[in-house]
Amino acid sequence: MKLTSYAQNLFDLGVLKDSGIEEVILGHRLLSRYSKTTDEELNRLIQRARELGLRVLLEWDILMTDEVFEATTPVLKKFLYLVDAIRVQDPGALKWCIEETILPLQFIAENGNHNIESLKGWCELSQGRLERIILSIELARETITEYCHALPIPCEILGFGRILLFYTPRSLLGNLYPEKFAMNEELEVLGESEESPHKGFPILENRHGTFMFHIKEFCLIEYAKDLSESGLAFFRIDLRFSEQKRLTIISSLMAKFDQSKFLEFKEEYPQDLMRGFYLVNKTDILFPKLKNVRLQKREGDFLGEVLEAEKGQHLAILVRNSRGIRVGDKLRILHPKGEEFLIEVRNLRNSSLTEVTEVPSGSLALIPYLTGVWVRSQIFLA
Amino acid sequence: MKSLTNSHSLPEVLAPAGSLDKLKVAILYGANAVYAGGQKFGLRTAAENFTLDELREGVQFAHVREAKVYVVLNSFLHDRDLTELPDFVRFLEEIQVDAVIVSDLGVVRTVRKNSSIPIHVSTQASTLNVSAAKIWKEAGASRIVLGREVSIKEAGRIRREADIEIEMFVHGSMCMAFSGHCVISNFTQGRDSNRGGCAHSCRFEYSLSPADSLEKKKAYFMSSKDLQGLRLLEEFIQEGIDSLKIEGRMKSPLYAGTMSKVYSEALRFYDEHGHFLSNDLLKWEAELSKVSHRDYTEASLREKAGPDSIFNERENVKENEWKMVGTVIEAGPDLGLILEVRNAFNIGDTLEFLPFRGDAKDIQVVSMADLAGRDVLRTKPSTLIKLPFIPGIEGQNLVRLKA
Repeated sequence: MKLTSYAQNLFDLGVLKDSGIEEVILGHRLLSRYSKTTDEELNRLIQRARELGLRVLLEWDILMTDEVFEATTPVLKKFLYLVDAIRVQDPGALKWCIEETILPLQFIAENGNHNIESLKGWCELSQGRLERIILSIELARETITEYCHALPIPCEILGFGRILLFYTPRSLLGNLYPEKFAMNEELEVLGESEESPHKGFPILENRHGTFMFHIKEFCLIEYAKDLSESGLAFFRIDLRFSEQKRLTIISSLMAKFDQSKFLEFKEEYPQDLMRGFYLVNKTDILFPKLKNVRLQKREGDFLGEVLEAEKGQHLAILVRNSRGIRVGDKLRILHPKGEEFLIEVRNLRNSSLTEVTEVPSGSLALIPYLTGVWVRSQIFLA
Repeated sequence: MKSLTNSHSLPEVLAPAGSLDKLKVAILYGANAVYAGGQKFGLRTAAENFTLDELREGVQFAHVREAKVYVVLNSFLHDRDLTELPDFVRFLEEIQVDAVIVSDLGVVRTVRKNSSIPIHVSTQASTLNVSAAKIWKEAGASRIVLGREVSIKEAGRIRREADIEIEMFVHGSMCMAFSGHCVISNFTQGRDSNRGGCAHSCRFEYSLSPADSLEKKKAYFMSSKDLQGLRLLEEFIQEGIDSLKIEGRMKSPLYAGTMSKVYSEALRFYDEHGHFLSNDLLKWEAELSKVSHRDYTEASLREKAGPDSIFNERENVKENEWKMVGTVIEAGPDLGLILEVRNAFNIGDTLEFLPFRGDAKDIQVVSMADLAGRDVLRTKPSTLIKLPFIPGIEGQNLVRLKA
């Protein structure tokens, strides 16, 4: 497993090289979500990276409407012949690169793409041009292992860095801090809400929009050996919001993990660290509780619903099945709280209170009142 | 879609159907198509959704009325979900749903392997440009539901250059984030927002402080106003947009009915007159304002959404002045109207009955009775009430009251 990381200036490149890393991800202010790098700076970084023998990956990870797309591709074209590969997330950028370049491509599949069929699909749609796929950090250990073995190309995952929670192209802070934003073209604040137990979300606004990050940073350093054995090819370290000098420590921990040094590193790191869903992802375990159980039991011989329960008088049922309700039918009544009643229809009236032998679909049927049955109880043919 | 007197086609009005009742209401009030979810694979876990029997009935109900039903499979599905999906897809093909809406390439491939159902790419995929539309088309999609960041003009270009059907949101609540690119709930509440567990953290009030300042500002800075594109219908038509989507499977039957009625009436007006220059425009806007909503915005439909698209207010502080009081269950000259009461009203109140077509009918309640014929002065929720017959009012018409 190899390390990969970013450089935002010449110093960063030196640290990368000293840390034994063989490639560098470079951004451009118009192509990359967080980069401030200009044309001139990018040229210098590419030149220096070449001198250091680093492979250069150009990051084009913004999401784009056509207006942005068209403003972006001329910038990209300036660097196509200077870099070794392009990293994209927008499927439109992937398509454009397939058609307009001959470079190897890396596809960032970090949002969604939580199934192997999807990842294989992107490989196939890319017509053999993908050299790497970047997996979601929401995937658990077993899934990462499975994907690394099943996919025809090497996989990468974020191993250390900020966790992006939210990305919008809209300016959400500029209006609140017009002076600060005008001065810097970029603004970062910390946010907290009384409705959330988490305090201190970093929120960044720049020319590409507004980004919100988790209060903790993502760290899988202690699982590096596992990941390497799982077949993961690239482990990404993102220190763009931290200090690049920490790369040296991280790379040494990656090369030879030492628990006490790792704890020391964690202790000194300015943010709390988390492993996210690496051990297990149970983010849908609560879903059954979001739903009224009563509403999940309607499959089968559903007949209708009680719209009125007039004590001592009647239950008014809106008949919803295609067959209707008939005298002699045996009914199972499911109370909203789950209690069940079994009855036989002996007396049936329509909404004019006329005694009838059947009531068709879409109409009201009145049967004698039954103690304990409430409005919204559901009726099934037993 | 119907043809127009000019060279453009009318877009379909695509309404939310959170349940079978809402499907029927939306179609009866004029929607050309509805989107609905089964018990699995959709993004609205807490919605009532449809059983298999209900889906079958819903499709039959729609097709008899020349309306279409699209079924959402737009959750970000995991591998284990994909093993269960083929049976459901084959069922959907058997009952002849008109399309499925998907977010994920794995689902596209699974649907294609197991059926020939047309595939619409969900807004969750955040398709924003011509090239992205082309790659989804190569994958097998027949329609793209564009990201809400795309303008109508850009959408028209995508339609022409990618040569694919285009669907755009015209009304309803909006994610502030690029759809499918928000995982706040996943990491802060353990609920996957892209699998139906969104906790709406973007609607919270936040206290913000720059790193170099102790000053704190409180703001609902991540909450978007609701989309409303009524005045842009002509632009949608001119750009050839195929489908106008109304958000809101979790919303009420009154919402589904009102939105379907207003947008379909407005498009019918255009079909007949070739323009929207009418006092009816004010009437339609008034109708839209009678349903609970945040402040409205055109968001990015015309130009990039600006700071005025942020809804910097607490949720639900504005009580809507109109409330739904019930649904007509049965109607006939001899029988009268039987109303299922959702909110109480009194003798003397003026109710607004919404026919499926045409203006609402304001009727003052002069007499009402329970099913046994006993006079009632004030109704109670969850009861049935008899009112005198009103010509033009029929079963499943909605009834509202100014609070």
